[in-house]
Amino acid sequence: MSAFEEVNYYFRKAARVMDLSAAVEKMLVTPFREVKVDVSIALDNGQLGTFIGYRIQHDKTRGPMKGGLRFHPSVDLAEAQALASLMTWKTAVVNLPYGGAKGGIAVDPESLTPRELERLTRRFVQQIHDIIGPQQDIPAPDVNTNPQIMAWIMDEYSKFHGFSPAVVTGKPVELFGSKGREEATGRGVVWALEEYLADAGLGEVRGKRFAVQGFGNVGSWACRFLHERGGRVVAIGDARGAIGHREGIDIPTLVEHVAKTRSVAGFPGAQGISNEGVLLADVDVLVPAALGGVITEANAKDIRARIVLEAANAPTTPGADDILEGRGVTVLPDIFVNAGGVTVSYFEWAQNIQQFSWEEEKVNAELHRHMREAYATLARVVKSRKVSFRTAAFIVAIGRVGRATVLRGV
Amino acid sequence: MTSSELVKTFRTVLCPTLTGDQAMELISATVPVSLPAGDLVFREGEKSNGLFILLRGSADVSKQAGDGTAKVLVTLKGPTVVGEMGLITDHPRSATVRAVSDCELHLLTKTQFARMLEAERLAAYKLIAAIADVLARRVEIMDQKILALGASEATGSAPVGELAALRAKLFTEWSF
Repeated sequence: MSAFEEVNYYFRKAARVMDLSAAVEKMLVTPFREVKVDVSIALDNGQLGTFIGYRIQHDKTRGPMKGGLRFHPSVDLAEAQALASLMTWKTAVVNLPYGGAKGGIAVDPESLTPRELERLTRRFVQQIHDIIGPQQDIPAPDVNTNPQIMAWIMDEYSKFHGFSPAVVTGKPVELFGSKGREEATGRGVVWALEEYLADAGLGEVRGKRFAVQGFGNVGSWACRFLHERGGRVVAIGDARGAIGHREGIDIPTLVEHVAKTRSVAGFPGAQGISNEGVLLADVDVLVPAALGGVITEANAKDIRARIVLEAANAPTTPGADDILEGRGVTVLPDIFVNAGGVTVSYFEWAQNIQQFSWEEEKVNAELHRHMREAYATLARVVKSRKVSFRTAAFIVAIGRVGRATVLRGV
Repeated sequence: MTSSELVKTFRTVLCPTLTGDQAMELISATVPVSLPAGDLVFREGEKSNGLFILLRGSADVSKQAGDGTAKVLVTLKGPTVVGEMGLITDHPRSATVRAVSDCELHLLTKTQFARMLEAERLAAYKLIAAIADVLARRVEIMDQKILALGASEATGSAPVGELAALRAKLFTEWSF
């Protein structure tokens, strides 16, 4: 199943519960616009490098489209379509005035020098500047893209359209970025969990055991917030290795270790374990916070956690999702759990448009409010319609996008 | 059916101005077709081969809807004519016709009809005039429907199907 089919699988599941017609489904799934561009640059050695850039704009009914740009060899039309539609549903779940988009360049940025990366980024903006914009489509960081790249995008776009900090989010705090943006997704992940724990009568984070797959921006911040609250993170994995500690890993020390070595592997305060061992660890909550498709039909039946907190996008395959649901494991879905990032992106955009900057307390308070309200809505749907949190999230999202569509008219 | 009954039926359903001889001429240009209940007379989208005179039996006329399901538009009962458009245009069949009881039909093929026109047979021209009359009446009915549709759109009183259903659903049952 391709990524697009996976997103559509969950979408269709909700659409069937809502008994939407095939024609309505088709209208909601079909992207607004798909753009594929040539991104050719001169490499430092004098040779030409030609790469393909994509921007899929899925839906703009509820506002300007929003979604990340990833620089990765796997970027293609199908992946971007899937992730663009996921952004439409995600922004709707947390009720941001946005539609969904996604894009990127099929390139391995490790193979480029910093100067080549800058040229590539600027060239891409030259190719798509007429379809993005503060009121059209607002890119953001994603896999292998960072605040520096966002700064280049802002600068290049502004050459064409005048000073436009709101054309992109995830910018450096020194260049119209928002305070609290970097840790926003991880913070939102933990708040999402806390809302569920309180609602389900399962107490608090303190004393609970966690396994976290992925220690990049999202995973590391989620670990820090869990640790701050007294949670015990007993297993952590990343692309280079995995570690475990029965009593909980000392996260602040691990963060220092990773800053030096770029991996959790070899951390002196824990034992080395297998990556699969992270997913199957004896914990209360499993937090997939890296790439998609890690929880599969092959391992879903062996997962011991009672809660799966989807910090990554699409970490659970549809087959695995059905198995987990059948086993009574609660899956808190990506489109709600990791929406903190896009929510603070929205605050950054709002600050840029207002030319006014918020203190971090305000950013966090507003983020907390959005996560709480989103959870309350989902919980109402889960209880009244006897559906999973994921189906509930899609039902809420489809409802919001659908209502906006019929109100605007087709 | 006796030949005099056949002549009478052809004159009634095809063209009242045909003389007995002209009706006989048309009848002899047709081939009789018998279909058991359930068989297809022709299928929507296929190349048309001519016009059918349904003498006895009844048949459903259906069309594919946007979602792929077939919708029965009308049930025809003999004696009547079906597929008359197929005689004069090269467009594919616009609907599917299926026998719902055992049917007795006569097929006037395009080829036979073209031969009669080539030979300047008056019967063939009378038949064209009769079909033109049917088509003119259909256009008139369609014009009235378009006018009625325009009026309801202008007042906004009658939102159309799919979106109206979606609106009703999303603002009531699925609003949280």
